[in-house]
Amino acid sequence: MSGWLRRLALLTGLLWLPLAAAGAEIEISAPGQQAIPLALTRFLPQEGAAAPAVAAELHEVLSADLDLAGLFRFVDPQAFLADAGKLGLFSPEVDFGQWQLLGAEVLIKGGYRVQGEELAVEARLFDVPGRRLLTGRRFVGRLQDARKIAHAFADEILKTLTGQAGPFDSRIAFISKRSGHKELWLMDVDGRNPIRLTDHRLLVLNPDFSPTGKELLFTSYRAGNPDLYRKEIFTGREARLSSHAGLNIAGRYAPDGRTVALTLSRDGDPELYLLGIDGAIRKRLTTSFGVDVDPSWSPDGRQLVFVSSRLGSPQMFILDLQSGAVRRLTANGKYDATPAWSPKGDRIVFSRQEGGRFDLYSIRPDGSDERRLSFGPGGAEHPRWSPDGRFLVYSVEKAGKKSLWIMRADGTGMRQIEAEGSHPAWSVVW
Amino acid sequence: MKRALLPITLLSLVLLVAGCASKTATEQEFPPRVDTQAAPTATTDLSRQPAPLGVGSQGVQSGPVADHQAVSGLSRILFDYNQFTLDDAARGVLEKNALYLKANASGRVIIEGHCDDRGSDEYNLALGERRAMAAKSYLVSLGIAAERLSTISYGEEQPLVTAASEDGWAQNRRAEFKVAR
Repeated sequence: MSGWLRRLALLTGLLWLPLAAAGAEIEISAPGQQAIPLALTRFLPQEGAAAPAVAAELHEVLSADLDLAGLFRFVDPQAFLADAGKLGLFSPEVDFGQWQLLGAEVLIKGGYRVQGEELAVEARLFDVPGRRLLTGRRFVGRLQDARKIAHAFADEILKTLTGQAGPFDSRIAFISKRSGHKELWLMDVDGRNPIRLTDHRLLVLNPDFSPTGKELLFTSYRAGNPDLYRKEIFTGREARLSSHAGLNIAGRYAPDGRTVALTLSRDGDPELYLLGIDGAIRKRLTTSFGVDVDPSWSPDGRQLVFVSSRLGSPQMFILDLQSGAVRRLTANGKYDATPAWSPKGDRIVFSRQEGGRFDLYSIRPDGSDERRLSFGPGGAEHPRWSPDGRFLVYSVEKAGKKSLWIMRADGTGMRQIEAEGSHPAWSVVW
Repeated sequence: MKRALLPITLLSLVLLVAGCASKTATEQEFPPRVDTQAAPTATTDLSRQPAPLGVGSQGVQSGPVADHQAVSGLSRILFDYNQFTLDDAARGVLEKNALYLKANASGRVIIEGHCDDRGSDEYNLALGERRAMAAKSYLVSLGIAAERLSTISYGEEQPLVTAASEDGWAQNRRAEFKVAR
């Protein structure tokens, strides 16, 4: 008597579990632990002629971005059934049963319309087990905006599934000498559409985006000295922000955009200073004998991690701006440089030179949990975070040639995005 | 406990069934209105977004004419790895340079500090500057007017040789002396 009751009770209890799990947002901090089965279909023409090149481009960009995201396992398109060929922009139009058969949990469908130079795209993300639309968006633009549309939808997909938008529609600034001199360039996150921003024709180095992403700081030798410049990206306007005798290098905007940390050697020794955005010196931050350089702000703007040779070789230190206290971050390496503090605040990525080559490491700001991220070939330096803190862009040097790569914050997913370039910086989505 | 198990289980089952029924009802309210209208409420119009202003796609430009040049009377000095101290050889060269500068008393001199390409770029900019300044200090101590001498660092940006070898690196760790035209 009690045996069947106990079994019934157990079964009833189990039936509650799916209800409890439904509707939870997915927290992804370690890609690879959760691989959501995703069916990515090709977008179909809504009316008018098909434009296979546009559809292919949308597909290529979405695939690459969602693969880089590290959240998904792609359902094999060879297995797709008839519903993949149907437009289906609203959940009553989608045969979810077909997708459930393939084990998909999320489904991407879309349509597009080309009229002359104009492109309109309808993009949809569906929850397959829930048989409902998770997010839908309509984009209008020109044919050349196809990649941007796909990047923007990839960002939207991440926002819907994890609560935080992706960075795929943002820009990366970098230094390239393809025009004959090192100049400042801008490109998409996948390396496409590079454009040159400066024409200084001497030496431009080390860019940094403002928090709005609309301005860039950089050092240029145009006036015969390494000076700090600020450039407005949309108007092209430039202003020389800091031109003290000696070095005006490694300028980095504070997270509130109101001050700039940089290295000046005007007092005889390269030290860290704080400038207002008008270029006036607000405060000198370091007073040690030795080189102080490479500042990176904590996201709350209260601390700076920087590189100093005060103990002999370059090591990383953390400065508390309020108290002025300085502490060493780690004693593990002999030569540590180019630190970058995650926008999430929980990790600092840096380059360490060992055996003549640089590799990237990640560490907590309290100095614990140090992990190596890169293992060659080639040296990796100058890591910079994506605005959402999920990815890193960095510079690789192999046989004297510098290229740019991106990877996930855990070191997986490395891919080259630019064959010739260095000193990257990553903006927010405009 | 066993007595309560039967009513609890029955209650559970009733709630589950009721829950499933009402879940279907709420599913028709979800997703947001997007789904049941003819067009989604979220539209992004890209046609009016501003674009970054590039400088155009000119080809290779010729650089500005250098306003400083090397002269045979001024020789470069070399440094050890990660060092900006002057060794005896460097001091010897600087003493010869000082003699030249005294004999050719007019004209400004630029002292350039350079590094090999190992090490971080920004750190090397700073190291290069310290090398240039070490050379300047010594020349001043030998009687050359400080106003004649200016310093600039190029870090690892302008190597003399591109070989990735001990010999190549050693040649790049240097200070150069150039005279204004």
